[in-house]
Amino acid sequence: MGVQLPFPTPQIEYSLLLPVLVILGAAVVSVLIEAVAAESLRRTLQPLLAFGSLAIALAGCVGLWDQRQVVAQGALVVDGPTVILQGTLLILAVLGALLMMESRVDPAGDPFAARASTIPGSADERGFGARRQTEVWPLFLFAVGGMLMFPAANDLLTAFIALEVFSLPLYLLTGMARRRRLLSQEAALKYFVLGAFSSAVFLFGSALIYAATGSLDFAGIADAVSADPTSGLLLSAGVALLLAGMLFKVGAAPFHQWSPDVYQGAPTALTAFMSAATKVAAFGALLRVMFVALGGAAWDWQPAVAVIAGLSMLVGAITAVVQSDIKRVLAYSSVAHAGFILTGVLAASPKGLSGSLVYLVAYGFVTLAAFGLLTVVRSPAGEATDVQQWAGLAKKSPVTASVFSLLLLTMAGLPLTSGFTAKFAAWSAAWGGWQTGVVVIGAVSSTIAAAFYLRIIVSMWFSEGDDAVVVALPGLGTRTVVGVGVASAVVFGVAPQLLLGLVDGVGVFLR
Amino acid sequence: MRGAPAVSAYLPILVLGLVSFGFAVFSVVAGALTGPKRYNRARLAAYECGIEPTPQPAGGGRFPVKYYLTAMLFIVFDIEIVFLYPWAVTFDRLALFGLIEMVLFIATVLVAYAYVWRRGGLEWDN
Amino acid sequence: MSPAAYLALAAVLFSLGCTGVLLRRNAIVMFMSVELMLNAANLALVTASRMHGNLDGQVFAFFSMTVAAAEVVVGLAIIVQIFRSRRSASIDDASLLKL
Repeated sequence: MGVQLPFPTPQIEYSLLLPVLVILGAAVVSVLIEAVAAESLRRTLQPLLAFGSLAIALAGCVGLWDQRQVVAQGALVVDGPTVILQGTLLILAVLGALLMMESRVDPAGDPFAARASTIPGSADERGFGARRQTEVWPLFLFAVGGMLMFPAANDLLTAFIALEVFSLPLYLLTGMARRRRLLSQEAALKYFVLGAFSSAVFLFGSALIYAATGSLDFAGIADAVSADPTSGLLLSAGVALLLAGMLFKVGAAPFHQWSPDVYQGAPTALTAFMSAATKVAAFGALLRVMFVALGGAAWDWQPAVAVIAGLSMLVGAITAVVQSDIKRVLAYSSVAHAGFILTGVLAASPKGLSGSLVYLVAYGFVTLAAFGLLTVVRSPAGEATDVQQWAGLAKKSPVTASVFSLLLLTMAGLPLTSGFTAKFAAWSAAWGGWQTGVVVIGAVSSTIAAAFYLRIIVSMWFSEGDDAVVVALPGLGTRTVVGVGVASAVVFGVAPQLLLGLVDGVGVFLR
Repeated sequence: MRGAPAVSAYLPILVLGLVSFGFAVFSVVAGALTGPKRYNRARLAAYECGIEPTPQPAGGGRFPVKYYLTAMLFIVFDIEIVFLYPWAVTFDRLALFGLIEMVLFIATVLVAYAYVWRRGGLEWDN
Repeated sequence: MSPAAYLALAAVLFSLGCTGVLLRRNAIVMFMSVELMLNAANLALVTASRMHGNLDGQVFAFFSMTVAAAEVVVGLAIIVQIFRSRRSASIDDASLLKL
């Protein structure tokens, strides 16, 4: 036998990992339920399990509020930003799950195909009719679990695993829409191919950074970077690839090509969750990598991020103008929002961190509500997503039209809405950080976007509409989602100190 | 033996290698020299190793989807050995903690297995 | 042989995979190219692990192999489903969505 090296038993702080463990554990149980429970039983058990585990995880997350610790042998960090991001993700997950449960707006049933493996248009498919399938729940829980891990990851290995754990279920869920199934499957294929590509880019970037620094954990990389500030070719290439992989996930230009197609093709209930939660998780991880691991090389990556931020804002705003599908409009506007959040990242300061976090929280709830609202405006063929079909909506349902107008104005950043609070927080950080040019581009592009949002609002209120388009009365779930979005837009807009104070209280990343 | 530990440790492997090589050579030579030499259809068929090749149309043809399903399941369960092997190598040093973690890991894989089994993923004919 | 050569090989493989994804239009071939990129990363990880004399890179390679397997399964599931729906595995044939 060889020499026995001392090998200490790894320390796992189970109580601090509660939110992640509960969700991933529930996901495994959920697979087991799929395996053994009868179909009728699954339909009640699965949502119960999902909401129950989300509630426990949320309670656990609140309990972690004051914790600042590196846990699980340095794999994860529980600190202020982790807790606020995980809390936001869990609330978004609850709201997303409510949308997934909705079966009142569509006479054909809930948003997901009764059996994803049937061939669209076949007799086989019709045989399943309006049945509710339950396989979405384990996939959803795995996605949520991965998202919770991603912003808490403290080394590149954990980050990569978390990235994949939340991406793979999302690829599958994207292809499971009940209506327009070919479109949905095609969106899943595009998302998968481009997503796998970006994961590979992320992985190769990690490998190069490891080759350059000899370390996978962020603290070790930071030490190596500050020891040798004239970063070599290997490190620069690694950082560039890692950054590209992560910017793909947040949907920043020029890595955004997937997002309009995927947002359009995916079931709208899932698009709502995905657009909000993926951004929160991926930006959380991006912030940690940039601030903790590469904070010492900020001068090197700031110019690149500045260009990408500016490009995202302009491309998002300008391309949104020429779109005719409202889901694509929201997709491009989310590209622009990615640019706005990057403005906060750019500042590379504690103020930039809190600005980005404020933006993520404000953006998440409003976007989720906006997509949720899309599901209620319907034509006989399904959701009416053409911009022209939304004309004259105010006559059919003044409430829907007012709520959607408010959400659009919030996205445009009207004062007294949470959108203004968010933009103010992100831009003031960048302004203080001498990134004036980017802020100017941001102001220009948000003016372009605002003009376009106003056009939709005007057409909703002052045009004649299509009689085939009706507004369905949604169930309690969708109403809750929209209600929370509107409440967050108003409350964080009128009393911004609530959100700013909350985020300022979390402090900075723990090293 | 104590004088040359490096050599003696590998000696049994060397002997085993020589023995098996010798046996293989002997079998082939003895078979070729003593066996009858008749060639027919049965002689050329696959014998206890592999299956009869399915007749295929020109260009390779298409495989039914169930081949992919089986291949996918194989990959997923096969890859788990990647984690079992390093664990087995350091089993005594990881002690109880390692054992518990590995049991948890295998239990998780078993859940996936139960799902595949109950959902008919293992049935070839349907 | 110096480890740098292996890193260079990894970079070449990665670029080949990248080119494959960007130029080929068959979903299966694009997918194989992605696998090539992942394996290039594995080679780089193992090389770097050897260069630095710690095991982190090898552990990472194990995990990325597992992830690659999971990705294969998810990807093939999507591709097979699309193929059954429309009898083609070309990315361009799937064009209900604007490019």
